[in-house]
Amino acid sequence: MPGTPIEIQLRALSRRFREGEREHVVLDGLDLDIQQGETVALRGRSGSGKSTLLNLVGGIDAPDAGTVTVAGVDVTSLTEHDRTLFRRQHIGFVYQAFNLVPTLNVADNVRLVLELNQVPAVKASSRIDKLLAAVDLADRAGSFPDVLSGGEQQRVAIARALAHEPAVLLADEPTGNLDDTTADGVLMLLDKLVRDSGRTMLIATHSQHVASHCDRVLELHNGKLE
Amino acid sequence: MIPVTYRASFSYLLRHPWQLVLSLIGIVIGVAVIVAVDLANSSARKAFLMSMDAITGQATHQVIGGPLGVPESVYADLRVEHGIRQIAPVVDGSISIGGASAQLLGIDLFAEQEIRGFTGDVRSAETDASSLFVDFLVEPGVVTTSEHTARELGLAVGDTLEVSAGGRQHEARLVAVFPDDGNSGLERIVVTDIATAQEWLGQAGWLSRIDARVGDGDADALMRLEAALPDGLQVLSAAGRTRSTADMSRAFMTNLTAMSLLALLVGLFLIFNSVNFSVLQRRGLIGVLRALGLTRRQLLAMILIEAGVIGLVAATFGVVFGVALGEQLLDLVSRTINDLYFRVNVTDVSIEPFSVIKGLVAGVGAALVAAAVPAIEATSYPPQLALTRSTLERRAGRVLPLVTLIGVAGMIAAVILVLISGSDLVAGLTAVFLLILGFALCIPLVVRAASTIGAPLAGKIGGSSARMAVAGVASGLSRTAVAIVALAVAVSATIGVSVMVDSFRGSVSQWLEQTLRADIYTGSLREGAMDPALIEAIRKLDGVETISTRKRASLEDANGRTQLRVFELPPAAFDGFEILDADPAEVWLAWEHADTILVSEPYAYQNQVGAGDRLTLPTDFGPRDFRIAATFQSYDINASAVTMSRATYARHYRDDSIDSLGLYLADSADIDSVIAAVEALSADGPRLYVTSNEGLQTESLRIFDRTFVITDVLYWLTLGVAFIGILSAMVALQLERAREFATLRALGMTPVQVGGMITAQTGVIGLLSGLAAVPLGVVMAYVLIKVINRRAFGWQIDMTVAPDILGVSVLFAIGAALLAGLYPAWRAGQSQPAIAMREE
Amino acid sequence: MKLFLYIGVLLALTPVLADEAAEPPSRLAELLASDAEGFARATEPRDFVFPADHGPHPEFRNEWWYVTGNLDGDRGERFGFELTFFRFSLAPSADPSDSDWRTNQVYIAHLALTDGEDERFLVAQRYSRGALGLAGAEAEPFRVWIDDWRIEEQSSGDWRLKADDNEFGLDLILSASKPPVLNGIDGLSQKSADPGNASYYYSITRLETQGIVRTGNRDYSVSGLAWLDREWSTSALAGNQVGWDWFALQLSDGSDLMFYGLRLDDGSQDPQSGGTFVSTGGIASHLGRSDVEIEVLDTWDSPEGGTYPSRWQLRVPRFGLDLTITPVIADQELFTTVRYWEGAVDVSGSRDGNSIAGRGYVELTGYAR
Repeated sequence: MPGTPIEIQLRALSRRFREGEREHVVLDGLDLDIQQGETVALRGRSGSGKSTLLNLVGGIDAPDAGTVTVAGVDVTSLTEHDRTLFRRQHIGFVYQAFNLVPTLNVADNVRLVLELNQVPAVKASSRIDKLLAAVDLADRAGSFPDVLSGGEQQRVAIARALAHEPAVLLADEPTGNLDDTTADGVLMLLDKLVRDSGRTMLIATHSQHVASHCDRVLELHNGKLE
Repeated sequence: MIPVTYRASFSYLLRHPWQLVLSLIGIVIGVAVIVAVDLANSSARKAFLMSMDAITGQATHQVIGGPLGVPESVYADLRVEHGIRQIAPVVDGSISIGGASAQLLGIDLFAEQEIRGFTGDVRSAETDASSLFVDFLVEPGVVTTSEHTARELGLAVGDTLEVSAGGRQHEARLVAVFPDDGNSGLERIVVTDIATAQEWLGQAGWLSRIDARVGDGDADALMRLEAALPDGLQVLSAAGRTRSTADMSRAFMTNLTAMSLLALLVGLFLIFNSVNFSVLQRRGLIGVLRALGLTRRQLLAMILIEAGVIGLVAATFGVVFGVALGEQLLDLVSRTINDLYFRVNVTDVSIEPFSVIKGLVAGVGAALVAAAVPAIEATSYPPQLALTRSTLERRAGRVLPLVTLIGVAGMIAAVILVLISGSDLVAGLTAVFLLILGFALCIPLVVRAASTIGAPLAGKIGGSSARMAVAGVASGLSRTAVAIVALAVAVSATIGVSVMVDSFRGSVSQWLEQTLRADIYTGSLREGAMDPALIEAIRKLDGVETISTRKRASLEDANGRTQLRVFELPPAAFDGFEILDADPAEVWLAWEHADTILVSEPYAYQNQVGAGDRLTLPTDFGPRDFRIAATFQSYDINASAVTMSRATYARHYRDDSIDSLGLYLADSADIDSVIAAVEALSADGPRLYVTSNEGLQTESLRIFDRTFVITDVLYWLTLGVAFIGILSAMVALQLERAREFATLRALGMTPVQVGGMITAQTGVIGLLSGLAAVPLGVVMAYVLIKVINRRAFGWQIDMTVAPDILGVSVLFAIGAALLAGLYPAWRAGQSQPAIAMREE
Repeated sequence: MKLFLYIGVLLALTPVLADEAAEPPSRLAELLASDAEGFARATEPRDFVFPADHGPHPEFRNEWWYVTGNLDGDRGERFGFELTFFRFSLAPSADPSDSDWRTNQVYIAHLALTDGEDERFLVAQRYSRGALGLAGAEAEPFRVWIDDWRIEEQSSGDWRLKADDNEFGLDLILSASKPPVLNGIDGLSQKSADPGNASYYYSITRLETQGIVRTGNRDYSVSGLAWLDREWSTSALAGNQVGWDWFALQLSDGSDLMFYGLRLDDGSQDPQSGGTFVSTGGIASHLGRSDVEIEVLDTWDSPEGGTYPSRWQLRVPRFGLDLTITPVIADQELFTTVRYWEGAVDVSGSRDGNSIAGRGYVELTGYAR
């Protein structure tokens, strides 16, 4: 889709980790452009650096070299504090382990993100209602995560990731903890919601099935994209 | 409305009430002890000041005299010959009413107009005020007191009561009570006519003092008063006298405060422990929040606010508990003050806003300080979802050398502080705290080394679960270190204080044995004089070879009070004085003939004097210089003192009264029968104590022990805090490692095996704490003895370390840890293997 | 209210006792009137012996030494003064005690100065137990004192009266120019009909006086005449006596007149009222109530309440006296706990038709409201 703006741009991105004496190169001079509204699957074996790449894009981690530009902002040039604010506003995360806040109920888990973005309470409530309806959990708003099934938890996580209308959604093995049927449902939902709202999504996964839903599939191997 | 973020964090604590309660308890106890000691101290001091205030009234100055007081004729002369009017005579002393002690205040109503105004609306059964007045003035034994005191003693107006004063029983009649107006300064003050006071206290002819009111800055009036007084009487400022009396107990109160701070310090470790845990355990949650965009500052604020709120809630409970505890401590504190320093009657804690605020600030402050370390650490995490445990331990391991270095620096600073601070008590106590903190910081490294070395050893002896238990201490150091340190500090405090008290007691006991040379001691019960005829009769008793006499007196001048001991000694008693800085032969040669005195070692230390110096003392003929012949060792628990011979005393004071005797018996005499004979002789007179040498030693040590009861109470509380610390740490550790235990269970360990492993681990923690406490405790004892006690009281104590104190302390540490480990062990044993498989 | 209240209560007794019927009988008065058991009573005449009777009579409940006088400064200033020592026995006897403070004796003194120039009236008081030399009275040599206020016999036989307060003071030498005269019947002065409600009462009606009066920082050399009233009793009150008017006048012909009028609650004068006329030569004549006529010419309203007579016409036909008595200043009221009026007066008039002048003191009790 030429003419569509680039949402995520990686240039010469490198990340190494020290493990005692040994240095382990995870990402090695990576270049990548992802257009707005594109959904991209990132495949690779365990330890290939998928999560590291997501963390760099989300501003959780900082690279040793290279730049990350998301929605026109050079994330790598930001201070930790500004990266946090950037992330808060522009990035949504979906994790393999759901990572809902166990001490908050479903609605409050979603509300947390809206509150951080200072969305007025009334507006937040209506948005929560809409989102929970969209993930088909309108009747579980008051439930705590520990009484939800895995699929339900992940649907809450998706609602939470989209609540503040981020430019980019980052998902790390979103179906890794789910059985196939449930995984399918969650995937469909994620795909639908992201595409409907025209957001950009980067999914780290080793599942062919997941990747097949995406516009583009990238393989991460020995720190390089293939 | 509380933001969702805070709810997310807070409700974690609500879901782990055990942990919340334990972290609260640490603060509650710490704050309670501080508040209690503070309230007890300030209440005792305030009660004293208020009662002095009430008793002093409008008097700005007081005329005081020598050992017997002020001759009453001086008072009449001041009025009749010199026309001085704003003066009032006072005869006061201690009495007891049905076992309760009180202060008798004998006044002359006619002189009271411009001096005191405390009695308010009197309430009397007789509505007739003039007959009340007449009764008060004319009828012997008529008293009034405050409503509150009357109620407390169970007395009603019109009651007759037995009053014990001057060793005799007297009949009194309560004719009226006056309201307190909330002025507890009048607590346990019984007001009577001056004639009754003289009769009861055996002070005919003498006044305790003359109160005077001199207009502000009226130097002429003051000079006129001074000029009108004969030699040997002085005019002192009333406020100055009150202050210097109150200040006598300052060292004691400072020590108590220091001990209460020790409890808070241990509490601080505990709070640190709890907060640290709650932060560590929420690292997953913190990771999520950070990923969702919570900034570091927001996170820090969240943790600190949470700690502050917990601190405030706990401190509030602590204050409430502290007030209750203060009531208990007050009794102990005032008893010690009465034993050692001055008379104070106080029954109720007065709640000082300042003490309460101090407690709240200490509690919240401690919580914030304790939370700051883990909070800062937590915010330094990269906002990844979860740091692995091993990363955490690696981090903890990396900072250990640094922490240890700071600890060593702290200890060095403590030593330097002791060396440069001269005789300053507060600096000494600061050094003790630096020492404790410094040592505490070194403990984790030592513990890691010990458990790393010990684990294989334990494995050989007890198999893999023993190995896991020991190694677990080191690998869980980020959690266990604080608990170990808290327990070690608490146990070391008990070692330090026990060794100090034990050494002190040993020195006192030895000193008593040396000093008490007579076979029998007898004397008046209060500070009254013995009947001269009785003394002569005792001297002539069969079996009595010779006697020594003693008179205690308090000399006072503008510089404060000096306790004087006047002895008439047979040569056999000379050996009882251990002369420290002169040739005893010369000392005793000059003893009776020259104007020499001996000073006790504490006196010498506090006043920086020694043999050869001269000391000015007020005498009945005005101030005189005395040469200090020597310093002698003394643990006289009542006060540090100046000692002079009877002969010297007779040359300077018109007082031949004697308050106690030492009886030296012939070899053939039977001690018990002589005691019986003395008791028979004194049966009709005022009550005397008669006791054998051995009995007096026992009694002295009993009083000694009594003054340290409060110390005991405080360190038990400190241990209580440490115990809670271990319990809290183990509970938290168990929560932390729930999955690990579940896995062990899944792998086939029985609940008993898992529980046993936890128990073994807490046992190792206790052992290591106990062992670490030994050197710290011994060093602390050394500092307490050689620095703190010396600076506070001037006592020189020989340090003796009883091995059993150390052994018991180590065993106690192990026992406390094991006990604290019981519940967590049981809980761990109950782990469901399924948990291990559920997530991640 | 303070402990000191007690003292106030005692002070409240003072005018009652001094004036015998100053106040409506209060509980205090009843106390003292009703239970005289154990005290001596004035029931029959006694032999007065001097100087012994100048000293105290502690077996009686109350007693006083009452000195009043009129003085002239050497620049013509006009002063009146009063110094009174009261003695009370609070109980018939004191318990034996080791303590010298134990006593049943209490002393109170009132000092007043009338400053005719500045029209000021100054008052001070003292009180003490009669023990330890703080206060007391002795006959030989004569001495009565509280603190440093005192009247004491000098070696010359004269009396020195010395009392000083912050605002003012007196230091006077008194020399009797007449012997003591016994009032009533040979010194037994019946105050009401009940036997025993009487006092022993003598006076020295004329003492030549000189010395120094101080007000503020100013000393005045003064001279004039003083009057001593001595009285002791155990009970004198009767329930229906509301107050009394007492006149002590020294006349320019050398004669002196004392008269007391006891007022009853029905407004009449008690028949026991009476007085003494002392001739220039010192001869005393008893005056009965019917010997003296008194007419009130003027009144003065106390700012504190109550209306006092303030000017009198006094006639004693038996001795040809017709006198007008005028206070030196109107306000000479003492603000002790119970108020009374005691003040210097000027006298003018005639004796047997010849004009005569004089000065004196008047005491008025029972008027305060």
